[in-house]
Formats: sequence, structure tokens, C-alpha cells
Amino acid sequence: MSSQKFTERKFGDYYKGNDVSICVPTSIEKREFGFLLFERGMLRHITFKAKEALESFLRATTCSDVYHSCSYYESPEAEMDRKGWLGADLIFDIDADHIPTSCERVHDGWICGNCSFSGKGIAPKKCPVCGSEKFNIGTWPCEVCLDSAKTETAKLLDLLMRDFGFSEKEVRVFFSGHRGYHVHVENEAIKTLAAVARREMVDYVSGLGLDVFFHGLNEKNWRVMRAYQDIRLDDLGWRKRIALGMQNFILSANEQDLRNIGLRKSIVEAILRNKDAILKSLLETGTWGVIRGVGFETWRKIAEHGVKLQSAKIDTVVTTDIHRLIRLTGTLHGKTGFKKVEFPVLAVDDFDPFKSAVAFKGGTATVFVSDAPEFRLGDEMFGPYRSQKVELPTAAAVLLICKRRAEVLE
Amino acid sequence: MQSVFSKFAKNDYAKYPFLKEAAKYLKIPDLKIEDLATPELEDILKRAEERVEEAILYTRVSRKLEKADNEISSYPVAIILAAATKSSFIQKRYALAEAKQTFEDLKNEKDKPKEKILTFAQDFGWKLALNKDSEITYEFALNFTDYLRNTTHLRGKKWKLVNRLLSDGNVYLTRTETARLLSEEVRKHIEKRVEVKELPRFPPKIIETAEKIKELSAEKIGKAEMEGFPKTVVQAAFPPCIEALYQAVSSGRHLSHVGRFTLTSFLTNIGMSPDNVIELFRTFSDFNERMTRYQVEHIAGERGSRTRYIPPRCETLQTHGVCVNPDELCQKIRHPLTYYRKKVKVAK
Repeated sequence: MSSQKFTERKFGDYYKGNDVSICVPTSIEKREFGFLLFERGMLRHITFKAKEALESFLRATTCSDVYHSCSYYESPEAEMDRKGWLGADLIFDIDADHIPTSCERVHDGWICGNCSFSGKGIAPKKCPVCGSEKFNIGTWPCEVCLDSAKTETAKLLDLLMRDFGFSEKEVRVFFSGHRGYHVHVENEAIKTLAAVARREMVDYVSGLGLDVFFHGLNEKNWRVMRAYQDIRLDDLGWRKRIALGMQNFILSANEQDLRNIGLRKSIVEAILRNKDAILKSLLETGTWGVIRGVGFETWRKIAEHGVKLQSAKIDTVVTTDIHRLIRLTGTLHGKTGFKKVEFPVLAVDDFDPFKSAVAFKGGTATVFVSDAPEFRLGDEMFGPYRSQKVELPTAAAVLLICKRRAEVLE
Repeated sequence: MQSVFSKFAKNDYAKYPFLKEAAKYLKIPDLKIEDLATPELEDILKRAEERVEEAILYTRVSRKLEKADNEISSYPVAIILAAATKSSFIQKRYALAEAKQTFEDLKNEKDKPKEKILTFAQDFGWKLALNKDSEITYEFALNFTDYLRNTTHLRGKKWKLVNRLLSDGNVYLTRTETARLLSEEVRKHIEKRVEVKELPRFPPKIIETAEKIKELSAEKIGKAEMEGFPKTVVQAAFPPCIEALYQAVSSGRHLSHVGRFTLTSFLTNIGMSPDNVIELFRTFSDFNERMTRYQVEHIAGERGSRTRYIPPRCETLQTHGVCVNPDELCQKIRHPLTYYRKKVKVAK
């Protein structure tokens, strides 16, 4: 049996089994559904009146990936131009691909699309052998990467709830099944917001276009008071976030970190020498700028770096696309065999994707692994493997096959 | 709760005749197009003509509160006149003038100004409230969705949401800022009303008046409006973002989806044929002629909805990381096509 047939059969078993729990979107009849088939090709513009119809479709047709529109349409089955857009949920996608981490060198790989030369880590601009600029990238859903994505997700959730005022009921958070997290916001006032308005929300959460001038950090204030009282930890919105970012940065920064944001050596030394005084002044009186010789430009740079630390790194395209297809909750990801799962917003810190998203329980398969880093599923560790035959639980085998790191042997 | 709203009198509606509640003061509630030619309405028609003319000449519309009834009734007639000119310039100008006047009037309300602003906002369905937090120095708190609907096209960093105080779903605003955003709502509201797709048959009197208004606008504005692009593509006039995309595609480097869309829509808009655009993409290793042709022709408006797509504006390109190496001219424009238009002109 080929590896693809193996995966296809396992996916099929999942949708026919009792463990499947599809969570359909609200107003299912107004949504477009899309299905990626194992035998290449995509079915689009499909509609269902109710959950049962969708479930029986999934039992009858084995798909590698299942999507629904974030939008609501008058005629979801029609062609794009004739659908009659009624609105869309607000969607955020946080993908490890958008966050640089130190472990990419270890588990990611690339293959030149032209000459098949391959390497580890982030792909170079040009293939060192043939000079081609087209690569096939092999990523890996690793714990470190997913953890960094989770940190960004937590920042995003805080922004959405504190600043945008969404309630716990309106904000839902999911593990995507691969390398990131999805956040959906369902709210009547949001539904009809145009793409440009959503873009402003994207800029807000990612701190893009933020000018610290408008948050109280300007030269005029500086001349008058020789100190800032406008950026305070007990303030609201970005003002509070900037203050937090500055505080965290001062707290943990070493000499090199401070040099990296463009500060002169003498200023860096003054800051490091007076670290405690700066933090104390901030906590007790909410004032910055108490250090002699450290002037406006320095504080501006520190504040701008604080913005970077506090912003949430999201995929900007997903949120502004008001026709986007997104993965259906409870269905499998074709690149991993993990399922997209929801978890409570308040449980974001404790959520373990490598436990909750495992879809295949029981059974084993023997595979030949070409190359795989060490990984964990549930409480069990696997790998690293290199050019070897190994018997694995179904979930682990499917993961390696989907990531093209292994072939099935029986 | 009711007490924070101020009840509007007839004079207020004469000042703000576009409010829904103003309709109860209309002389003829169910105005038919034919009625406009009747002599009883001559005063109203005259005042309506004046409204549009003032808009063209001064981008303001005076308020004649001593004849409140006529003033209120002349507003819907002015809308009909603006529509009858079939000139989108005049229509937009009229909307803008009423909006600017509204901004001035709202800002300068003497009697219970805050309450008036609240009542005004309520008429448009805004979620606007007085700020009750004494720690915050702003007078108003507006739900961010209402805020975004009225600011996304405003110039100036201070209107960007990320530069505002946003907390618990509310954007905090001064009175002047609130008045400014309400006037934007007025502009949008009037623009929508005057852009009638299918016009009825107008009585000769109306057509005559509309012609008069058009002549006035031609005199005032001249014929400098809207110059087209040159016939050939001038690569030297590409903005830096487009130049970078163009270089990337020429050397077969991978482009993001937004990048491909931006480049394609830019090139088709300045007159490059879809065939030539498709040739550009041929260097890609994953080039698929059928797919590329479908997408390029779609963007060029030769397929599907027949809409020709224009490239995203600068702000959007910044959000998606397509904006690179902005130069001096970039500071003065908000759209890559404007950059091209300006630079081509200089090159001539």
C-alpha cells in the first residue's frame, strides 16, 4: 500500500469513527465549504443545510483538508461574483512561519526545486549549486515554534479583550493542526466591517504605524517636565502596553540588547547602572526619564522597542481577506493528521497541542523514516530518526508520512 | 439615560436637514418628481439650486434658519438636482460641502453642545457616549466599529486606530474630533443618496436647472480634471514598491500573493496588455499559463465580474510588507498609481 493510500484510509477511518467531533460554524447554510481531495484538486462552492449533511458528506468523501468560509453569503453555492456577501467573522492566524525561532535550523529543511540540492534551516536566497531561487520548504510543527506562536496568541487575546472589548463568549481560540493558532471573533458589529477597517485592526494589534508621539512621548512634554508621566503602567490601551514593554525591556536587557536598538555605549552604561532607580521611579511615581544624560531620543527608541515586544505577530493577509476559507474545527490537517481543536481562552497557557490535537488513538504502523527530529505526542517521546525502519503508533506514523519524512512499509 | 440627549427643534433640523427626524418637517412629505415643476415650490427649488451652487463655489452651504420650513424642504430637492447633473464631481462636491458645513456647525454649537452631538450621533445609529472616566481627558467615547467606518480613508497619523486611546471597545475623542467624524458620516450618507443608478425622467425645469449648475461647475473647475495615462509604459516612473516587484518577477524570484496582485493590477491599470503581463510571469518555475491567464485577465477586468481591479493603496501595501524604499514623492501620495501619474507628468 502506498503511503498516500495509507493516510487516506486512516483519515477515512477517522471521519467514519466515533471519536470525530465536528464543530460547525454558526449559520451553516450561509457558508461556503471547500474540500481538498487526496487525489489532487479542490471541491469548492459546496453548501450544507445542516450539520448532519456535512457529516455524511465527510464519511462518504475522504478529504485531506476541510474548509468553510469565514464569510456569510446569500447564495454560498454560486460563483464568487454572484455569492452576495453578507458579512464575515473576524479571523486571526498566528503561524510559526511568521515568527523567527532559534530551532528552525534544527528541524526545517529545504530542497532546491531545480537541482534537488538540499539543506537544513531557513532556505538561502539562491541555491548554492545551481543558483535557482525556487525551493520546496519542509517545516516541522515543533514545541518551541508552537510555544512562540502561543505567546503571540496570548498577546493577541489580551489586545482583543482589553482594548477591543470583546467578551470571552465572542472570542474563540483554536490550534490549527499544524504550526499555529487561529482566533475567531463572532460579533454582530464586526460582521459587516470592510477589509480596510479590518486592516486598521491588524495594524493595531501588530503595532504597525504606531507613533509614540500620540501616546504622550513627545519632545514638548519632555521640555516641560523633563520626565514622562503620560506613559504609565496603570494607563489603558497602547499607553499601558508601551509602558509594560519598556519595563520588561529595561528589566531584562543586557548591554548588547540595548546596543541593538541603536543606543550609544555611554548611554547604555548609564541605563544599566541606574536600572533599579529607573524601575523604582516607574513603579512608584509612574515617571520615566529620571536619569541624567539619558534624553528624549533614547526613551523614544526604548518605547519603540517596547511596542515591538508587546505587539502580536499575526498573518496580516488572513484577517483582511473577507472571503477567506478557514479550516473546519474538528477536521484533520493534511500536513500532520492533527485535528483543529478549540480550547478555552483562559486556558491558553496550559493548552498542549501535542496532546489535545492527536486524532488517531490506538494501532501501530511500520514506517521507514528518512529524517525526523525528536518529537513528542501526548506523554511519549519519539526520534530522532534517520534512514531507519521503526514501528510507531498510528498518530506518529501519520504525522511523519504527512510531513514527507517517512514511507509506510506494510 | 434619556436626559443626556437634547431634543432637536425645527431650527436644528434646518441646520441638519439630512437627519432622519427632519422628514417630519417636510412641506410635502411624499415629494414626486413631477411636483417639482409646480409654481408653489418655486422658492424651494430656488433655494435647492443655491445649495448646490454654494457647494461648487465655496465648498460650504449656508444655513437660512429664518425660513426653516423652506430650508428643510430644499435639501431633498438639492439631492435631486445634484443627481440630475449626472456629474460625479458635482455630486461629491455637494456631499463634501454639506459635510464641511456640518463640521463647523457642530463644533460651534453653543447651547448644550455635548447633548446635541449625542442626539446627532444617535440619529445615525452610532454607539457614542459621554466619557465618564475622570482619569481620561476626552469628552466622548465611541465604539471602535463606528470609528473605523468613518476614519479608514482619513489622512493623518492621528486617525490611525493604533495611535488612539482604545479601551474596552471604545475610542476616546475630543468634541472637535467627534464633530469631524460625524461630518464624515454626513458626507457618506449624501454621496450614497445622490449616486442614483437609474434616474427618473425629470421635468424640463429640473433639467434646465441642472444644466445651469453644470455650466457653473465647468467655469469654476475648468477642464483640468482627470488626465489619463500615457499610451506606453514608462518604467522610469514606477514607484519603488512596483519597481522592486518588477525586478523580482523579472529575475524569477518568488512573489507573495499580495505582491503578484499589486504588480498585475498596477501594470494593467497603466495600460500594459494582459498578454504582456503573463509573459512577465513566465520565468517562474511554477508557471502555469492557463492559471496565470485566468488570474491576470480577471484582475484586468476581462473576465468574471468585469471589474478592473486597482492596486492596493500605500497603507495596505505597508501592512502586507510590500512597501519598500519609499522616496520623497512617496511622502506626498497615498496610492502607487498617483505616484506614477505624477512622475510621468514631471518626466514630460
